[in-house]
Amino acid sequence: MYSDPTFLVIQTLNGLQLAMLLFLLSVGLSVVFGLMNIVNLAHGTLYMFGAYFGIWVYNLTESFWAALALAPLGVMLLGMFFYEILIKKLRNAPPLQQVLVTFGLIFVGLDAVRMSWGNLATSIPKPEIFSGSVLIFGEIYPSYRLFIIGLGILVMLVLYFCLERTRVGSIIRAGVDDREMVSCLGINVDLAFFGVFCIGCYLAGLSGVVAGAVFPVEPGMDMSVLILTLIVVVVGGLGSLKGAVVGSLMIGLAETYGQVFIPEYASVTIYALMAIILLKRPGGLFPARAVQ
Amino acid sequence: MKKLFTLDRFVALFLIALSLLLSESVEYYGQELIAEITILAIFAMSLDLLVGYAGLVSLGHAAFLGIGSYATGILTVQYGWEMFPTMLISIALAGLVSALVGIFVVRLEGIFFIMITLAVSQMFHAYFLKNREFGGDDGMPGIQRLDLEAFGLTVFDPADFAKFTLIVAVLVYIGLDLLMSSPFGRYLIGIHQNENRMRSLGVPVEQYKLAIFIIAGMVAGLSGSLQAQHTGFVSPDAMFWTVSGVVLIMVIAGGTGSLVGAVVGAVIVRLLSHQISSLTEHWMLFMGLFFIAIVLFASDGIYGTFAKYCRRSRWWKSAGNSSD
Amino acid sequence: MKKMYFLLMVALSSLFLLTPIHAAEPVKVGMILPYSGVYAGLGKEITRAFELGLEVFGDEVNGRKIVLVQEDTEGKPNSGLSKTKKLIFSDKVDVLVGPVSSGVLAAMRDTVHNSKTPFVIANAGHDGISGAKCSPWIVRTSFSNRQVVRPMGKWMYDNGYRKVYLMAPDYAAGHQMMDHFKAGFKEAGGTIIGEEYPPLQGTKDFGPYLAKVKEAKPDALFVFFAGGPAIQFVKSFGAFGLGNTIPLAGAGWLTSPLYIKAQGEGANNIIGSANYIPSIDNAANKAYQDAFKAKHKREGSEFAVQGYDSARVIVEALKAVNGDTSDKKAFMDAIRAVTFDGPRGKMRFDSKNGNIIQNIYVYKNSKTNGVIAPSVFDVIKDVQDPSDSCTM
Repeated sequence: MYSDPTFLVIQTLNGLQLAMLLFLLSVGLSVVFGLMNIVNLAHGTLYMFGAYFGIWVYNLTESFWAALALAPLGVMLLGMFFYEILIKKLRNAPPLQQVLVTFGLIFVGLDAVRMSWGNLATSIPKPEIFSGSVLIFGEIYPSYRLFIIGLGILVMLVLYFCLERTRVGSIIRAGVDDREMVSCLGINVDLAFFGVFCIGCYLAGLSGVVAGAVFPVEPGMDMSVLILTLIVVVVGGLGSLKGAVVGSLMIGLAETYGQVFIPEYASVTIYALMAIILLKRPGGLFPARAVQ
Repeated sequence: MKKLFTLDRFVALFLIALSLLLSESVEYYGQELIAEITILAIFAMSLDLLVGYAGLVSLGHAAFLGIGSYATGILTVQYGWEMFPTMLISIALAGLVSALVGIFVVRLEGIFFIMITLAVSQMFHAYFLKNREFGGDDGMPGIQRLDLEAFGLTVFDPADFAKFTLIVAVLVYIGLDLLMSSPFGRYLIGIHQNENRMRSLGVPVEQYKLAIFIIAGMVAGLSGSLQAQHTGFVSPDAMFWTVSGVVLIMVIAGGTGSLVGAVVGAVIVRLLSHQISSLTEHWMLFMGLFFIAIVLFASDGIYGTFAKYCRRSRWWKSAGNSSD
Repeated sequence: MKKMYFLLMVALSSLFLLTPIHAAEPVKVGMILPYSGVYAGLGKEITRAFELGLEVFGDEVNGRKIVLVQEDTEGKPNSGLSKTKKLIFSDKVDVLVGPVSSGVLAAMRDTVHNSKTPFVIANAGHDGISGAKCSPWIVRTSFSNRQVVRPMGKWMYDNGYRKVYLMAPDYAAGHQMMDHFKAGFKEAGGTIIGEEYPPLQGTKDFGPYLAKVKEAKPDALFVFFAGGPAIQFVKSFGAFGLGNTIPLAGAGWLTSPLYIKAQGEGANNIIGSANYIPSIDNAANKAYQDAFKAKHKREGSEFAVQGYDSARVIVEALKAVNGDTSDKKAFMDAIRAVTFDGPRGKMRFDSKNGNIIQNIYVYKNSKTNGVIAPSVFDVIKDVQDPSDSCTM
């Protein structure tokens, strides 16, 4: 029955949906990582705050769209705050100190969420127009999932345009390649990097709201996506948009197909895939910078 | 110039004396806690070999602790083996598995090494979680302790078991300390500092890394075997990546690159979280702030910073130690 | 200045007079529950209801006040065991109440048994504790996994479901639930046409599994999910349009009152078996729900009722021994002898293994006035754990 083409299409859509969520989460992390050499383990915490801010806004306005518009901005402000008071100081600190600080932020963020919103799992209601389903080759499919796929593709295109076709984009790309050189040209690389950091936070918040309508919103949701996101980042290679796209597609589809076709090994499919890729390509598939 | 009394050894001696003294004076639960923390300290030292000395940041080290625990549990409970040979086999098995893993992973660097070790440990975790023969996620209970009647220790007495773990910890410390001050250890530190230079000097970098990966795996296996004996059970939770993560945090908090730093980190972080979690359910908030404070105010870690001030102090210099 | 000093002395000495000179030692209850981690919400829920139980049934017996010592298991076996030792050996509690997860229970069991500490299990459903791993020092006020689902297997066959598909997270409790449902269902004559066990950790999507279930066209899908995954599962089930074609049945926790609001429309029409639902019609339940609502402004859940009943068990046992816990054996015997008509109906402990004997309720969710809530559909009376391997 699994060879039925409709079944395959449905499952591929499921995989794409997961891939797009992972893309929103990982692209910011990957570029920040590649550009600024900052190991931000608290990226999942930003995603969690996105979901909780979303619930907060939803409860006030009864509108999913208000939540989608406002919550990511809130997360971005939060990110900017922590950038100013902490992360800026760690720009040139050894990676292990960054690990310790961002791990500390995970702990603090988790308890902040528990204190503000309690421990119980909850969820964001889907928007009215995407709460139903559509027919795909005669199969019922949730339209919200198609919305996620569409949103992911939209963000992808916008980022592609910004990075490849604008001046800021070329500064960022050059900055990843050779930061010293760009600084010498009198360009404020730090400002460009700060912008990238903010966009990364925004996208993490955005994915939090979007995912909050499908996945449970609960303390600890940060840790469950952190690992997936890091896997996407290393599989794709640090610092490149192409890497984030390919990485999230591979991991999203592998996770889904794994659950369908080899359920016995579903919990290790992506780990095995990552291990194989890293052994063949120790710097990931499309790193922005060649590995020294 | 080799010195016998380095600051590290001095502090190590102090810690051991203190623990021995405490294991006599504190109550039952305190003795249990000493054993628990001592085992954790052994595990932390083994991770520090990788993180602090070889620059290999592993987020999957708990896998080898788990293998040590499971080997001990399976051999004694399901096959009725004696504990002493079981412990040796557990250590050897952890070493063997780390050799098999190490051959593939030591080539990787930075975040890629972190992630591949994480992947490996998660696969082991998934295996034991699924395997209902070994108890699945409920784990395997009924593990006994090493019989030490011959040495006058009754291991079911918590004070004696605490002493036993302390003795093992001391032996591990001495062994690793000697290893790290040997040429092997100095090459390793050299690799950590400048890999390319060592490579051009003809040092077989990968082999050194593999060797330390295996040694660290064996020590982790030993701590796993001890932990199984202490708690009397083993469950897949012991090898989940967060266990590796927490111990990594302990090592960094204590100060990497010195065995004593790892021990200090394990002791302080464990005691603090234990105490704070008795007082408030929001203990993670305080631990998080504590970690952030360490980086801001004691960037070399708790012990690392302490050692730096000590070595600068007049007292330490006047004791005839220009530097160590 | 002197006057001030004098006044201070008077004030201080009057304080001493107010304090009874020989205040009896309090009875210490060790709450060994998750207060952080995934199950923190349930740990708090049980604690809240336990405190409520003490308010209702009395927190003082024969001059001895009942006090709680809370320790956080974090839902992890190792931490749970370490904290258990602290409660037993350092705090010297008279009785333990907890834990939420079976893994923690399995880790604690030997320490509790060997130290002869009375232990009231208030949630964890580990079957072994009512079987080979039973102990004279352990009773359970909650349930054993098989107790809740096994009768449901027969019930579903009797009510016309012949081909059933199963789904549960891939861990011990998930498998135990499914195995015993299967046993009950097959005994009655039903057929299982498929089983899915998504990973417990890291499942990000039920879509792939639901598509498989849909292909198989079963008479019903029987599942066990709790907490966050339960919300996600029920929402996905609705979104994939299975709600109109395949009846969904589950073990009670699937649409717990704690989560049913977040599940939205998807929760409608689900049937399930549970040891408690809030709308059970009896006087004790009404009193419990009224008290819980007055204090916490919402319905008490099935987790809460287990904490509430545990408090009652301990209070009644203390009354039976006049507050004297020095003879641990007598205190434990008194615990095992407690029986009452509580919110869940008549409850008592099985003399065979210390597991609660209770009604199992078959419920159905339906929408009235825009609110989806479960109502009792059928009652299976006095269900015992079918253990035969317990020797005490």
